[in-house]
This record gives sequence, structure tokens and C-alpha cells, in this order.
Amino acid sequence: MNKLRLGFFKYSCCMGCSYFFAYVHKHVPEVLASFDFVFIKMLSRKGIPDGPFDIALVEGTITEAWQADELKIIRGQSKKLFAIGSCAVIGGIPAIKATAPELEVEKRVYKNLSSIHSIKPHAVDAYVKVDGYIRGCPPAERDLYEALTSVLTGRKPDFPQHSVCIECKLKGNLCVLIADNMPCMGPVTNAGCGALCPSMNRACYSCFGPMKQANGPALAKKFKAMGISRDDIIRKFTEFGADTIEFRKAVEMVYED
Amino acid sequence: MKIDINYIARVEGESSVKLEIEGGKLKELRLNIWEPPRFFEGFLVGRKFDEVPDIVARICGICPVSHMTTAIRAMENAFGFKPSTEVKKIRKILALSQILSSHLAHLYIFALPDFFKLNSVVEMLPRYEKEIKRFLRLKDAANSITSLFGGRALHPVSMVVGGFTKLPSKADTEKAAKELESLHEDALETLKMASELKCPALENDAEFVALTGKGEYAINGGIISSTKGLNIKEHEYPSYFIEDEVPYSNAKRTVIKDRGSLMAGALARINLGFDNLLPDAKKASEDIGFKGGGNPFLNNLAQAVEIVHAFQECAILLRGLTLKEYFADFKVREGVGSALTEAPRGMLYHYYEIDRSGIITKANIVTPTAHNFLNLEESLKKLVTENIDKPEDELILMCEMLVRAYDPCFSCSVH
Repeated sequence: MNKLRLGFFKYSCCMGCSYFFAYVHKHVPEVLASFDFVFIKMLSRKGIPDGPFDIALVEGTITEAWQADELKIIRGQSKKLFAIGSCAVIGGIPAIKATAPELEVEKRVYKNLSSIHSIKPHAVDAYVKVDGYIRGCPPAERDLYEALTSVLTGRKPDFPQHSVCIECKLKGNLCVLIADNMPCMGPVTNAGCGALCPSMNRACYSCFGPMKQANGPALAKKFKAMGISRDDIIRKFTEFGADTIEFRKAVEMVYED
Repeated sequence: MKIDINYIARVEGESSVKLEIEGGKLKELRLNIWEPPRFFEGFLVGRKFDEVPDIVARICGICPVSHMTTAIRAMENAFGFKPSTEVKKIRKILALSQILSSHLAHLYIFALPDFFKLNSVVEMLPRYEKEIKRFLRLKDAANSITSLFGGRALHPVSMVVGGFTKLPSKADTEKAAKELESLHEDALETLKMASELKCPALENDAEFVALTGKGEYAINGGIISSTKGLNIKEHEYPSYFIEDEVPYSNAKRTVIKDRGSLMAGALARINLGFDNLLPDAKKASEDIGFKGGGNPFLNNLAQAVEIVHAFQECAILLRGLTLKEYFADFKVREGVGSALTEAPRGMLYHYYEIDRSGIITKANIVTPTAHNFLNLEESLKKLVTENIDKPEDELILMCEMLVRAYDPCFSCSVH
């Protein structure tokens, strides 16, 4: 069997997804046998960023115009394009920047902004169509394999669509939101982590981002009833989800209330 | 002749080296760190103290534990809170496990292929299967320690101001200690392998800077010491270190006031803390005739020595845990706090101003690569000058190898 051509592209992020991918814990031989790493900067010198690619993985938030341009070219050259990690999937941590006026935030970091060319941070799918989302920060291992095997076998990838709550129930965790009064984001957060934070005795902070069509405003109301301040609720919904519709709705509700 | 090395692979983040040679002489050389800024210090303002560790973890995919620990220690200093001895021990275990992961990845995946004249670790198979298998065994063990305490190896979740949210059982920590002890031979093999790599000669009279401790290989805090006599406390950092913007780079550059460039990282730690290494690591290092030095390429070897040390110290610390007093309550108060730790790639500084409700009003972060920036540029200049007659391909590879030897994190440096 011919190996499939794989490209891995990094935009604005911690490069943790590349690092994670470079060390695919339990399946190194299988991955190496199935894919030709045409371009992955963290692993290889002299890679060629030109397509065609059977699969392109894109990590990082889009924060500079050249990235959007390059991304569009990669999309055109790739049969399947997956966003990997919360930065690429939902904007992630870098999208917090958009919660305040751009100049104000940038001025706090640089005195001279003449050589800084940042644009408003967005997820990858603000610019190109995405074939699948490998969610999480860091991404879920299972979802990474799912993306790779779906391309290998030519089927549609199957990613979890339910909330972290379901994972807690499956694990038999006591609910930290109800029993311990912790402001847990689990009810609106996409599964994939295995309910990690509630299992570690703390509230979920939504590093996997919102579950599709999650009811953010309802959870924000619950937080308010628990006595959590307006600003604290807004911070909960903007740590990882500042660039998402689901969490923006919650923030708007809190402002209007 | 102009050379633009704009594809520096096998490092974390984006950079390029631009140089110009005229009449057989190096005219100009710039390290252009074009990694896009994410403005962490900008958007941390307005966030609450308890979100900060989870946010700053995302500065770096390789050293999240360092950013979390440094931020937590800085905020604890601002609140006037002193963590328990147990908490300090666990923080050191986590830091050592991450130093192991980072060094192992750097040595085997990033640095090694150059010495075999290969482009990537993938090309090392099947010929170097033994080395790859050893790497996977060691890396697995290091990762499992981070996730044993942190919940996961990347961006752990249990670390908070005050201590930890949950700890593993005694049975689990004993099992982990045993696993680490069983890897001592593999760690020694790694050192042997690193000692056999032929590095170009390159002198570097930089000031090596690292945290040091009394009778301890310092990681989370200590005295800021240097090979040229610096000996100051953590909170005195801003009076001695100056951070400046560089017109051609998104990363800022840090120097020692009135003195100039510095080098931080494993080699600096070995140069300043060799006597505090555990006896086995010290002996293994002496057996191969290494006690530190100035050549930045020796950083690879220094990392290998630290691998031997860290596996052992981690096991010792694990054996000594009581697993009690892992969290204590604290009072949020208005204040200013800073802290330093030894991240895998060197000294890392975090500074926060916090208002009375725990909201960040100012943040400053200086990473190891910002500390090394100027020295790396100076070393590159020296390397090119001394090898100016070499063919272009060879010169380019040498420059890349030198950049990689510093084990830079450009994502961190810009943040």
C-alpha cells in the first residue's frame, strides 16, 4: 500500500499538538507504516510544504494575515483537513485577546507596534472548511487516532458529540457542580478528556471548548444562582471559548441580565 | 553572499537566521524570531489569579509545568503564602519529570538526527531502532510521572495556588519509583550516546546563569548565580536583568545590566551546580570527563547528565512522600509577586501585580530563550566567522545545529 501524504502545519500556539503528534504514544510503528510525513517542522528538516496532501493537520489560532492566506492554499491541496487542538478548533487561549480592544492588549506587551501585524484571533474554520475537529488542549489521543484511521479507511470520522457530564456519569464521579458547588463547565463542554478535572477534584474549565449547540446561557444562570459574580461568570466562558457562538451567547446573557 | 535559513526545523516555534558574507567576512547576522505573538502579558490583565496557571500552561507545549509552577509560586509570594514541604517536593517531582520529557525529546528527536546526517527521527529507523526503543521507554516513564500527579502529561490540571487538588495513592507512587529505578541503565546509555556525538569546537565566554541551592540541585527557586559572580535573591531579578524589544524579532531580548549576554539552561546548571548532582550522575559525568564548559554544543551533554540525575532524584523524592498536607488555604490580598524556576531550557521568570479581589493588573514573563537570545546570536556569529570557508550547505547545517543545541523554545520566547 502506498503511504498517505501527511502535512502538519503550525500557526499561533504552544506547538503542543505537534509535540503530542511527534510522540504518538502507543502507535508509533503503525503511524510510521501508514503515513509519509511530507511536512512537519517539529520532526523534520527539509520538509516541503507543497501538496497534494491526503491529510493535513492544522494546529494553532489564526492571528496573522499570512496564516490565513497559507491556510487557504493548504486547504486547496488537501483531501482532508483536520483542525487539531483547541487553538485551531475554537480559537483557544489566544482568543482571550479579543475580549478587550486590540490596541490596549498589544500596547501592554510592546512599546513599538510598528512591526507587529496581528489580526483578530480566529479558529481555522473561520477561513476554510474543516473535515473534522480533533478537540482538546492537549487533544484527545483517541480522537487523533480516529482522524488518522478514518482517512486510512476512507470513512467518516466519529468524534464524541456529548458533554463532559456524560463522561463523569460513566466514570461514576460525584457531581462537583451539584455536590460541591464548584462552578463546573462540564455541562456545556465537549467530551474527550475522560472527565479529567472533576476526577481530579476540581471544576472543568472547558479546555475542550463548547459542545455543539450547548446551552451556555442556562449554565450561566445556574452560576449566577450559586452566587458567582458577573465578571467571574464571563471569565469562565471566555477562557477557552471567547471565539465561540455557544459561549458568546452566555456572555451576552450575563451582560443583559 | 546572503544566506537566509528560514526553515529551522526540530525546535519549538518559528525563527530564521539571516546572514550576509562579504569579501570572506561576516558582515551581518540576525536571529529573527518570527513566531507570532499571542499577547499573554496583555490578556492576563483582567483575569483572575486562579485561572492564571491554566492559561500560562498554554505558553508552551513542552514545559507547561514550569510556567504553571512559576506563576503559582509568584502568586503565592504576592499573597504571602508558604506552601508545605510536601507540596514543594511534589512540585519538584513534576518539574523533574518535565525536564526529563523535554531533554529526552530534544536529545533524541531534535538533536540526534544531525549527528547521523539525517533529516528526521523517522529516517533513523530501522538502523537506530535500539536508540528509538530506549527513547520510547524513557519518555513513557517520564510522561507517566507527570500524569500520575497532574492528571495528564501535557497541560496538567492538579496544580493550583496552595498546592494540589488531588494526589495519587502510596501504592502508585511506590510503583512509579520502582519503574524509574529500573531505567537507570537506559539513562546511563543515553549519557554514553551523547558523549560520543562529535560537536564542532566553539568557544563562548558568556556569563552562565542558573538558580543554585544549598546541597540541592535547584529547580523551583533558589539563588540567582552566575559564573561571573552574580549572587542575588529571586526578587532582586528586575534590578539586574533588562528586557528590551528588538526591531527584527517578535521575541524580546534580555541581558544582564552593564554586562551583556548570558546563557541559561542545562549547561549553565551543570556549570554552577555540578557539585549538587547526585553521586551517581556526578560519577557518570566524571567518568566521561565532563564537568561543564563553555562550548554551547555541550548543552546536549549537560542535558544527558541531567537525565541520569533527574530519574534518580525523582525516585528518591517519590519514596519520601507522605502524601499528606498537599493543600492549604490562603488569603487573597492585594500585592506584587515574582518567582523564578529552572525550566528545562533554563531560567524562567514570572511577575504579577494583583488587586484585592485577585484580579491581575500587570504581568511580565521572561523565558529561557529570551535570556539566551543575545548569546545565541553571538555564538552564531562566532561559528560563522570560524567556518566561513565551509560550503554553504555545511555552514547552514552547522548554524541549525547550534540553534538546536541551545534547545530554544521560540513559542515561549514570544508568548
